[in-house]
Amino acid sequence: MNRKRLGLFGVIASAALAITATVVPAAHAASEILIWADETRGPHLATLFAANPNVIPGSTIKVVSFSSYAALGDALDKYTGSAGPDIFIGGNDWVTKLAKSGKLAPVTLTASQKSNFAATNFFDLTYKKKIYGVPVDINNVAMVYNTKLVTSAPKTYGDMVDFYKANKVSKGLKAGLCFTGGGMAWGGLSGLSALGADPYFMRAKGVPDVYKGFNGTTFGNNVKKYLLDANGKSNGFFPATDTGCADNFKAGLVPYATLGNWEWKKYQDLGFTMNFMPVPGVVAGTYGHMFGSVNGAFLTTNAEKHGVAVAAKSLLTGYFASAAGQIAYEAIELRPPANLDAQASASVSDAQKNMANAATLAGIPQIGAFLGSNAGGANYWDSSGGYWTAVLVQGKDPVVEGKKLAAMWKKNVAVGKADL
Amino acid sequence: MSGLIRGNFAFMGKVALLAIVTAMLALLTEHAFVQKEYAIGSFLLFAILALNFTYLTKFSIPLKFFVPGILFFIAFVIAPIIFTLSMSTYHYQTGNILGKGEATQQVVTLGAEPDENGTTFDINVGETPSGDFAILVSDIANNKFFISTKDTRTEVPASGVTLDENGVATAAPGFTLISAEMLSKSDDYSRIHYKYQDKFYIGIEGQNVGAVFQQSLTYDKAAGVIKNVVTGDTYKDNGRGNWAKVGAPDEMLTPGWRAPIWFENYTKLVSDEKVRTPLIKVFIWTVVFAGMSVLTTFALGLLLAMALNRKIRGRRIYRSILILPYAMPSVMSILIWAGMFDTEFGAINNLLHTHIAWFTDANFARGAVLLVNLWLGFPYFYLICSGSLQAIPTELQEAAAIDGANPRQIFRKITLPLLLQILSPLLIASFAFNFNNFNLIYLLTGGGPRETLDGQIAGATDILISYTYQIAFGNNTQDFGLASAISVLIFVLVASISLYGLKKSKVMETFG
Repeated sequence: MNRKRLGLFGVIASAALAITATVVPAAHAASEILIWADETRGPHLATLFAANPNVIPGSTIKVVSFSSYAALGDALDKYTGSAGPDIFIGGNDWVTKLAKSGKLAPVTLTASQKSNFAATNFFDLTYKKKIYGVPVDINNVAMVYNTKLVTSAPKTYGDMVDFYKANKVSKGLKAGLCFTGGGMAWGGLSGLSALGADPYFMRAKGVPDVYKGFNGTTFGNNVKKYLLDANGKSNGFFPATDTGCADNFKAGLVPYATLGNWEWKKYQDLGFTMNFMPVPGVVAGTYGHMFGSVNGAFLTTNAEKHGVAVAAKSLLTGYFASAAGQIAYEAIELRPPANLDAQASASVSDAQKNMANAATLAGIPQIGAFLGSNAGGANYWDSSGGYWTAVLVQGKDPVVEGKKLAAMWKKNVAVGKADL
Repeated sequence: MSGLIRGNFAFMGKVALLAIVTAMLALLTEHAFVQKEYAIGSFLLFAILALNFTYLTKFSIPLKFFVPGILFFIAFVIAPIIFTLSMSTYHYQTGNILGKGEATQQVVTLGAEPDENGTTFDINVGETPSGDFAILVSDIANNKFFISTKDTRTEVPASGVTLDENGVATAAPGFTLISAEMLSKSDDYSRIHYKYQDKFYIGIEGQNVGAVFQQSLTYDKAAGVIKNVVTGDTYKDNGRGNWAKVGAPDEMLTPGWRAPIWFENYTKLVSDEKVRTPLIKVFIWTVVFAGMSVLTTFALGLLLAMALNRKIRGRRIYRSILILPYAMPSVMSILIWAGMFDTEFGAINNLLHTHIAWFTDANFARGAVLLVNLWLGFPYFYLICSGSLQAIPTELQEAAAIDGANPRQIFRKITLPLLLQILSPLLIASFAFNFNNFNLIYLLTGGGPRETLDGQIAGATDILISYTYQIAFGNNTQDFGLASAISVLIFVLVASISLYGLKKSKVMETFG
């Protein structure tokens, strides 16, 4: 390279460095708390913090929204080094995996901060006795019945099946009960539980019973009695998938449906009555359990790497976990807040409160250590849908498959308890 | 026109383009080094130097054409292969993601246990006259106040502090408050263990909150062990990326780290029943799927090409219609087919007046996969067969006909052998492509159906690559090491099959 060309290289290098130094922002601005959230929470949080920029003195807050909850989970899974967020908003299904991989940092709450929440809320945020976040809002489903088809609340599962059978032809019903939100695994727990299949049981004091499993024979016989016809085929009351459920319910072709607590408003706007209740069990006065879990704001180990650990902890405990913070946020997000004082606040709507009441009546905490375990062969998320496919689509024996499911979940709990 | 490729204008354009590319690469290099991705950063730096050296000197004219390709080849072919090979020798899965240093540091951080009562205090952060960080602690319940530094704890009488409206001390002799704005510039003060009593210290848990902790786990670097000072337990490196308890090796501390286990992931493919059984089934289906896909798409493509090789009315319109599936993005086609196979609402069941659960029955699902792949793949073979048929001299067929051969014999003895000689490399390439046809399987069936209640990991339509994805990303426990080992196996299989095929077809001899 002669002198002239060396000079040229120098010019190019200088220009390139000047461009990168002046145009390109630093990867992570100093004293900036980076929050990752999904496509609904992200914009809501951005609105919230745009209106309240000084919630943490000396720090700014940046919110990055992902296209879906799954995309957020994927990004959390795959980021390496310090490329991830300081805080993210998510569900408990990620806690075990992320904590195990060293991506979550523990948060210490004061006794008074803890007393603002139901004790079971912390199951969703805990791995090996360490708490990794603060509860933000309750995440549950509840059943509604279409008052244009059904005049009163069903008392038992059998009442719903009887109504469906009696009106299937005359009203052109496509199904009796289906799940509009949350999918067949998460949203559909109440459908399984109402007939007797629970992934785990809770003791009276909110402690999981790690030795008790459900009775596969009883459950299988209930499935046979309520969901199958004389030939052992599905009677159509309960579809094996949630495809088309929302459209059919809106069109008045399904009398009973469970809604997620993030979607009740659009049904209310369509004229449906928000008569929330848990799915009734086979015996009057009993209900199918639903996940009354909480979404949390989680602290990551990046906060320390980015030098904002203290500010991020303050944002979690002083704002996200506070009544004032949750009231402000849920005024936009419209879910039931987890903070007990916020729940009681007059500014929280009746629908939000009734959703929370349904969770209080039949909710169980979402314990990721049990649900994510596949020690028995498959985890809850895969095996629950697998049961319905096996029985309602493939026509397998409900009792035989019920016993398999019971054995699988019992083993998942037995092994998963080590991660509590 | 020549001014565009020669002269000052072209030279300035080259310099400008080089400056832009250099700037972009410099930006990526900076990001890579900030993220501590030193290998990537070094490669990008090398690329900057290589590009500038090549285009600013007359060192080698051919290199000016080859350098971009060589750099992309290194970045996107060689590096992933080396990374996959290297990861296949590691214990690299959920729980063993970090490096050893970071994992150990986190284990120690997680070893800070709150005291029995979960004691917390209101605090303010400041400094002592000597410039050391200090916290002014308010024990409001007992009306006690003290200043703590790393090494000292000084009691301050209640009469000596200034309180805010909540009764929290904000000022005391020998303590200068630091504003939240100043503190937000650095987190250094939060890493200090402020003295409390005995083995307990106060840790910062928020801008105005301190909690009492005891450091239960400590790292003894000299001995290479972690000790629990409360229980007396010792944890040592188990050689597989975890600190395991001495005397109870199944009790391990989390998180772990990536650790070399050499060929264990490979031996697991053979020795572990849970891995081996599904792998064999998946392998058989992969070969059947790839073979059937090539056979059916080639057969249909050839049939149509032969049909349209004759002069018939509307031949151009038919040809245009036949290549439409090829022109449409395959992702869209696959998703549309997935909808058409839906049990409840799908067009196929509606047309046939059936209620077939296409994707929940293993045989129907496999049939659906082959059918959709036939739809996606036949236009390709139709196009290349059309071209190849025209390349076969008609004199050969005419001579055979004069010798008394019927059309079937002409096809079997002349057309097909000549076609196969021309198309062998493409048939082999098609087989290799379908061997790794991830998109089709993932988007159409997701690898299913799976008998989850029987504990099946692999689905009926899973091929090796989708099964690998399932192992790497599909479960709560993601095993990247095992997935890498299977990827290497796929690479070896596809390379061997392709080489064998090419050798058999004697194509390489044609290329000399």
